[in-house]
Amino acid sequence: MTPRILSPEELGLLTMVQDELVPAHGDLSAAGTLGAAQTVDAYLAERPQLRHPVLTALRAVEVIAGGTPFVELDSERRVDVLRRVECADPESFSELVKQTYNAYYTRPDVQASLGIDGPPQPVGFELPAFDESRLARVRGMGKLWRDA
Amino acid sequence: MAAPELDSDVLIVGSGASGAAAAWSLSRRGLRVTCLEQGRWVEPSDYAHSRPDYELARQTTFAKDPNVRGWAEDYPINNSGTPIFPLMVNAVGGSTVHWSGHFPRMRPSDFRVRTLDGVADDWPFTYWDLEPYYDLNDSMVGVSGLAGDPGNPPRSPRQTPPLAFDAGCEAYLRGLEKLGWHWWPCDNALISEPFGENRSPCNCCGPCDIGCPIGAMSSAHVTYWPKALAQGVQLITHARVEQITVDRAGRATGALYYDDQGVRRSHTAGVVVMAANGVGTPRLLLNSTSARFPNGLANNSGVVGAYLMFHPVAFVSGVFEEVVNGQRGPIGGLMNCQEFYETDLARGFVRGFELQLSRSVGPLSVANGGILGHPVPWGSAHHEALRSRYAHTMTTSVMLEDLPEPENRVTLDPELTDAHGIPAPLIEYRAGENTQRMLEFSIARARELFEAAGAVEILVDPLVQESGWHLMGTCRMGDDPERSVINGWGQAHECPNLFVIDGSTFTTSAAVNPTSTIQAVALRCADWLGRNYREVAA
Repeated sequence: MTPRILSPEELGLLTMVQDELVPAHGDLSAAGTLGAAQTVDAYLAERPQLRHPVLTALRAVEVIAGGTPFVELDSERRVDVLRRVECADPESFSELVKQTYNAYYTRPDVQASLGIDGPPQPVGFELPAFDESRLARVRGMGKLWRDA
Repeated sequence: MAAPELDSDVLIVGSGASGAAAAWSLSRRGLRVTCLEQGRWVEPSDYAHSRPDYELARQTTFAKDPNVRGWAEDYPINNSGTPIFPLMVNAVGGSTVHWSGHFPRMRPSDFRVRTLDGVADDWPFTYWDLEPYYDLNDSMVGVSGLAGDPGNPPRSPRQTPPLAFDAGCEAYLRGLEKLGWHWWPCDNALISEPFGENRSPCNCCGPCDIGCPIGAMSSAHVTYWPKALAQGVQLITHARVEQITVDRAGRATGALYYDDQGVRRSHTAGVVVMAANGVGTPRLLLNSTSARFPNGLANNSGVVGAYLMFHPVAFVSGVFEEVVNGQRGPIGGLMNCQEFYETDLARGFVRGFELQLSRSVGPLSVANGGILGHPVPWGSAHHEALRSRYAHTMTTSVMLEDLPEPENRVTLDPELTDAHGIPAPLIEYRAGENTQRMLEFSIARARELFEAAGAVEILVDPLVQESGWHLMGTCRMGDDPERSVINGWGQAHECPNLFVIDGSTFTTSAAVNPTSTIQAVALRCADWLGRNYREVAA
């Protein structure tokens, strides 16, 4: 699918960045590989106020990476670049991380890996009823309020 | 009744907790009541709970900060002068559309702060004067809970039993029993069993803070409004009030508002009732200038907008080794600890606080910092950190009594306006010295509780920025016209057919969530107005 806001190059870079932000875990691929970059692109289309911080952070990645494209760095050096971006512009970088988490943790397969069967409604959860006998000690505390 | 040429007997501005209750009460007496609401009805399809991305609603469509949410119905707020941001919903039902539903009552001592503790002012009535209206309100909205709390006066049986008590509650209980502190299951505006029409009992889905799609939450749009409309109340949505109009004698005559097409209209009434809460009401009164009231309606005293009170809130979270599943069950409203509620000067401050023992949130919100603003780190440690917090965390809100200070206030921003050109509110607030001492003490007690409960990690947000849910004091009640805007019946000292009935009426804030008191006060004022309408409107 053609990205709506990001260029194909930016989409590719974001994918690699996201793979370092949220790496693979168990059977789950890393966030970028799972498609989180496309989801963030959709967020940027829907919420223009997100574009500036996310794009600023993304562009800083290539700047701080220096002459070597991010794609050519090994994982350890990619993480180092991202740490430096985070130090240089924490506000923009935190927005990039936040939107990556948004894209990742709203996926049903990721939620399933955490034991979540589905959204909260319509089923909800069955929880134990309150047991009044637990209040025995407190009931014996006597009046704790001041009359006035 | 009022003269027939008037559009209504009573015009209410705002359809939230107080406006809804007053509309029901006044229309029950046969008065012709109209309510202007700048928002709209929230529709079942608006709720996100059935979607896997439901947690995004906290950042977008159901964000609690109107500056973030940005609905067309919202107005901007200048928060540059406050560490606590006002939160609200502009819709039918107001901020009860998405809230946690905590529904405690104030204590008798809360109404006698000056007499008992020598600070602030006494309310112009007592707890016992308000008690029948607390009971009436509870019977209208439906409350879950349990009578018999030794921390509060005896009260009528709750409409439905307390909410569920699960692993997280057991964790809290370990600490409370070890320390020997008071606790009690909360009163909640959230039904645990069938109550009322077209409502389902809570099914413990979790995220009450983004609304309740099944009507379990006792929000004003599912409790009072169906009954008020059945009694003939006219509710006009998308009606943004610009100002309250007055005649040459300084009596309120109605309101000017913009309708859903942006057309400026006038509505006349014998009595005007302000129910736009602690920011909206002073904003509109300050914008209602005239020759008689050059500083804003009913504001020749300069008190309108002053004495703004929030409840400064700290969040303290405990992370447990065992699974507590804090994301399941109503997010708030488990138990209250009022061990430190009444004044004990040995603690270094007057008045007190409560610990609201609450639950937690889903994985996305945990990753982004949970309730606390402590994001889970990115990188190789991410998954382990996320899994140590998600389903293992419980959060306590430390809620403090905020003393009224005239420097804390709502005024009109000289530049910022809403979409209709109406000046936006400017908030100026700082936490006072007493509050800061109490905050430090109370956070230490919350830490002590989690340590006693066996938490392996404790996280603290010492003053939550997005915690201005409770907007109080800006048109305060009192007997002294120099220090208050309205009397004990909500009637403006300077304008006898103008009433204020919302959170802005609070003389002091107490240390509990205000909505049950807001609605009880609204019912009491509306009851008096209904009985005295002819004299007031004459």
